[in-house]
Amino acid sequence: MDYEIRAEHLGFCYEDKEVLKNINLKIKEGSFISIIGPNGSGKSTLLKTLSGFLKPRKGTVLLGEENLKELSQKEISKRLSMVPQNILLEFDFKVKDIVMMGRHPYIKRLKGETAEDIKIVEKAMKYTNILEFSDRLYNELSGGEKQRVILAQALAQQPRVLLLDEPISHLDLQHQVEILDLIKRMSLGGGLASIAVLHDLNMASAYSDHIIMLKAGEIFCEGEPEKVLTAKNIAHVFNTDVTVSKNPVTGKTYIYPISTIPKNKRDTRIHMICGGGSGTKLIKELADNGFIVSTGVLNIGDSDWAASKEYELDVAEETPFLNITQRAYEKNLELALAAHCIVLMPIYFSKANIRNLELLTEGRLKDKKIYILGDRDFEKRDYTGGEARSLYKGLKEQPNVIQLEEYELIEALIKADEGNE
Amino acid sequence: MPRVIISAVLGAGLSVVGGVMQGVFKNPLVDSYTLGMSSGAALGAVLSIVTGIGIFGYGTTGAFAFLGAVSSLFFVYHISKTKNRVSINSLLLSGVAVSYFLSSIISFIMMLNRNKIEQIVFWTMGSLSSATWQKLIFSSSFILPGILALCFFSRELNIMSLGEESAHYMGVDVEKLKYILLVICSLIVGAVVSTGGTIGFLGLVAPHIVRLIWGSDNRKLIPYSAIMGAAILMLSDTLGRVLIQPSEIPVGVMTSIMGGPFFVFLLRRQKSKGAA
Repeated sequence: MDYEIRAEHLGFCYEDKEVLKNINLKIKEGSFISIIGPNGSGKSTLLKTLSGFLKPRKGTVLLGEENLKELSQKEISKRLSMVPQNILLEFDFKVKDIVMMGRHPYIKRLKGETAEDIKIVEKAMKYTNILEFSDRLYNELSGGEKQRVILAQALAQQPRVLLLDEPISHLDLQHQVEILDLIKRMSLGGGLASIAVLHDLNMASAYSDHIIMLKAGEIFCEGEPEKVLTAKNIAHVFNTDVTVSKNPVTGKTYIYPISTIPKNKRDTRIHMICGGGSGTKLIKELADNGFIVSTGVLNIGDSDWAASKEYELDVAEETPFLNITQRAYEKNLELALAAHCIVLMPIYFSKANIRNLELLTEGRLKDKKIYILGDRDFEKRDYTGGEARSLYKGLKEQPNVIQLEEYELIEALIKADEGNE
Repeated sequence: MPRVIISAVLGAGLSVVGGVMQGVFKNPLVDSYTLGMSSGAALGAVLSIVTGIGIFGYGTTGAFAFLGAVSSLFFVYHISKTKNRVSINSLLLSGVAVSYFLSSIISFIMMLNRNKIEQIVFWTMGSLSSATWQKLIFSSSFILPGILALCFFSRELNIMSLGEESAHYMGVDVEKLKYILLVICSLIVGAVVSTGGTIGFLGLVAPHIVRLIWGSDNRKLIPYSAIMGAAILMLSDTLGRVLIQPSEIPVGVMTSIMGGPFFVFLLRRQKSKGAA
């Protein structure tokens, strides 16, 4: 299969500073490739070198089988177009005139635009869905509409390669998705090879077939999104801690940044009995307040389980749909014993998780404080036919049990923690 | 009679130059006056008069004016260029600064050559009172082909308004285009100034009126600016002649009186746009 654009041993310097080092890449028709990397890693320079706007110091760029160096600017413009972040116009033009500018490399000076040019421009406007405002002025349009106009102009050049320099950075979410969908369609349907510099790693993950991660002017790693976008690579290249998981709907890699604001670390360990999302908010609040939190027994994939993983907590976990096994129960007990206190969230009880309630009545936990949150309508939360209810009733009578509302808990815990010091 | 036609030709030339330079630099405040070209041309013309070279014929004054326009433009352009980027603010500031500098040199020359002072004042204020058929033919033979040549580049000029980098991606050789356009503009300014002195603000105002009415498309802007400029200058010159008869107001004074406030209006509008 032929490649639309190839770079071989590409290098570029600004004055004495080496900005790109030994870049090799090959891009096929119909593929969408993202370039990611921190500011100053050479992303835009790479794009400008691929486009011929900057002359490489070393190496070559091949467009199809032709060396970029040997093509005139007009010839390059027929094969490659560039979409910048946004275009500002001091003097306003009609949308259709701007799209027609894309035909410039084809128009002869004395002949003017032909019927064919007009047809191609109309097709490009139809494709990007801007026909309805083709007579309006560019500066009157919204950010997303402007970017569609610029994409139509790029299409009117009838290129094989589409380069995009942060095409969505200044757009809101709706328009980011709209523009990337359009570019993706242009790649798939039009057979364009698209290369985009993107800042948003999650957008890069959602749309790219292939990601190139740059660090200090070199390709740090490249490949399919899930291979490139690992917490380790991102920590190394972006100097930022993240957790990586999967988008539950699309299955694509999804990145959550972790704030680096130092937490007020506390010594108090808290074990939470939760599940089904009942504990997610509290997990976050306790962890953000610097408590050492553990959770159990949670089914793998449960939303409280995911929150626990996000905060890298100790979790007693169990395979979904299984009754709590002895192994998980013991792990849960171990975590509860290690904690200073235990919190029971208002969860539903069935045969599967009744042992979480049993745990709290264990003799070995007699001298641990147990906080029960949201003590209302227990009957409605009992799917064990009364077994849970009698356990719960017994539990409430234990001297180490305290009933609280959620908002009272954190205050009480902080007070207890600071009293310990 | 030659005076009316000359005013039309010079008005057309100045307005087209203003419109084209606004397009090249993507800024509405640019014209041959604010970039120092007019003062440069005037200094060139004055020099040719005081050194006596001017007596070798009308063409020498024109050539000097052209050289003055070109060199002051390129000087302004290069001092405002840092690291291959031309900042519009520094372009305008250095244009105005150079303009002042050149004007004071002209004043200095006037002081030293009191016997030629009237002739020199004519250059600095802009006047058409000395119009002859010969001057008409001379200036037209540069200005009209110049305007025509600029029309040929209107498509590229349109693309330039997307920004130089974008124009490059559309297959425009930006540096070459700028060079060609600025040389043609300097030629026109040289011809205008050597005929009518420095006529201020017309090049700034006329293209904006055209833009307000017919839009920014340079394919229309250039020819319509020519017509608009011609009409305004004919009107100004006629008004200047009849307003305070038997004396007459130099046309450069007339255009500056009308253009100055317009310039301030544009500046304010751009400021409020920048703030939004």
